[in-house]
Amino acid sequence: MSLRAEALTLGYRDRRVIDALDLDLPRGGMTTILGPNGCGKSTLLRALARLIAPRSGQVTLDGRNIHALPSRALAREMAILPQSPLAPDGITVGDLVKRGRTPWRGFLAPWNDRDAAACTEALAAVALLDLADRPLDELSGGQRQRAWIALVLAQQAQVLLLDEPTTFLDLVHQMDVLTLLRQRNRDTGLTVISVLHDLNLAARFSDTLVLLGPDGLVATGNPQEVLTPDRLMTAFGLRAQIAADPVAGSPMVIPL
Amino acid sequence: MRGGVILTALLFAAVLVAVLIGQVDIGMAELWQGLITGEGPGALILDTIRGPRVATAVGAGAVLGLSGVIFQTLLRNPLAAPDIMGFTSGAGLAVVAATALGVALPMPLIAACGGLAAAVLVALLSWRRDAATPPLMLILVGLGVGFAASALTTFSMTLLPSEVAADAQRWMTGSLAARDWRHVAQVWGLGLILGLVTFGQLQALTALELGSDLAAGLGLNVERARWGLAGTGVLLAAVGVAVAGPIPFVALMAGPFSARLTGARTLGGRLAGAIAAGALITVLADLVARAALSGIQLPVGVMTGLIGAPYLLWRLSREMERGEL
Ligand SMILES: Nc1ncnc2c1ncn2[C@@H]1O[C@H](COP(=O)(O)OP(=O)(O)O)[C@@H](O)[C@H]1O
Ligand SMILES: [Mg+2]
Repeated sequence: MSLRAEALTLGYRDRRVIDALDLDLPRGGMTTILGPNGCGKSTLLRALARLIAPRSGQVTLDGRNIHALPSRALAREMAILPQSPLAPDGITVGDLVKRGRTPWRGFLAPWNDRDAAACTEALAAVALLDLADRPLDELSGGQRQRAWIALVLAQQAQVLLLDEPTTFLDLVHQMDVLTLLRQRNRDTGLTVISVLHDLNLAARFSDTLVLLGPDGLVATGNPQEVLTPDRLMTAFGLRAQIAADPVAGSPMVIPL
Repeated sequence: MRGGVILTALLFAAVLVAVLIGQVDIGMAELWQGLITGEGPGALILDTIRGPRVATAVGAGAVLGLSGVIFQTLLRNPLAAPDIMGFTSGAGLAVVAATALGVALPMPLIAACGGLAAAVLVALLSWRRDAATPPLMLILVGLGVGFAASALTTFSMTLLPSEVAADAQRWMTGSLAARDWRHVAQVWGLGLILGLVTFGQLQALTALELGSDLAAGLGLNVERARWGLAGTGVLLAAVGVAVAGPIPFVALMAGPFSARLTGARTLGGRLAGAIAAGALITVLADLVARAALSGIQLPVGVMTGLIGAPYLLWRLSREMERGEL
């Protein structure tokens, strides 16, 4: 029961970005993909979500090649929040979240109770029920990001991929989003796979880290295993020391 | 909702006034009598003189408006309308060329072929490997294809006998003169079918509005949905061109105008609004074009051109300022 990359090779035209990568991301875990800019984090995430086709190798979900699954069926099992989704002009939070129901709705099928319940539940999970009627562009950055997360939660897929969900947020709202995802992961067994930039937050909120460097995979495993000075050197060219986070006990990166 | 009611009321009022006013004005009483008894000047106006003309204007404006809002939504750009991107010119070229060459096929079919050919040409010329086409490029390529089609149309007209050429010239500006009930049946019948096809694709367009990645994540086959919608949009525009010529700027203006007026937030509401606004603009433009100067009947396209060109310039400068081009 997992999302796996098997000998996955990805690239654009003559440029190879990921080479023969093997990964096993078990269901129910919280995984973070880390690495310097341009190393292929988004490329990998997009391939896991079937947004780009592999050059070779495959991605499987519970043993099934995701490219062999019907789009709609896959969308019921796996949701992705891209880095910069587009908001239609003047859309309200409630209308935005409703669009998450797309894979569950038949051709011309009327809106039903299950759809309504899923949206209400998703809005409640991100604490935006009170703001459902407000236009998205009147919200703060943190609230807006929570609205997008509500959209993919309303999709009710058991695997959720997110590309840099915290990048434009201040620290408080970064914590907010990650706490929310962790909560969801604990409460409903949601598998969360995200790309993050903050190493310490990633260490704190993840069961598994996937560390990519300029030349591909550097290490994967739990935060203690992955975050070591020499691996940070390989991946980022960063000289750093590791200490234990005094609050969470997870490894904490201190740049030198 | 209130905006929608206002828009509908405006459309009904415009249709009524357009039937009453013209070279010979009639009163409500005469119109009513004509409607009930089928006799008198009211009946003549309704059956032959202005009835088919106004009904064609409503139909052509509606399909052009819907086509415009489909492309504007699909390409996320208020300038991306079938008249700006050369599709209506392509349809017009096909019609004139077919007439010149004596091809005896139904006009909507010929116009559809021309519109689709122009669209495919624009898509091919602006296609980029591995990257989305920037909107400005698409619009410039479209403008270029449109100009080329217009030039070829002018050339085709030289091949026509002079009486026919004068008609063709008029038609090319967009004209509703001498329409009969066959034109009405064509544009309403095909428009209705294509309208239903569009509303069948509403869910896909709604998902595409969120960007292609999120749409794909929501289970949409993005490429197929895009082609389906673009094809429907081109056919809608072609149906309008087949009965009324390539009336400029209606498709461009209808969507933004109705969005302003109705404030519709749902996509379905915006599409419906653009249908009504396209019809309203066309009926009013035709009314002004034939009633403004006594004794002279201008083609409707002259009027929409007079309103549309400044609108286009304003829109262009605004988009440039906001850096969205
Ligand atoms: N659509 C694309 N076409 C060509 N090259 C791309 C494309 N997207 C990304 N790349 C290249 O692939 C590499 C990895 O990009 P990406 O996965 O976005 O990195 P990251 O998310 O880790 O910053 C970069 O060098 C980038 O320039
Ligand atoms: Mg990235």
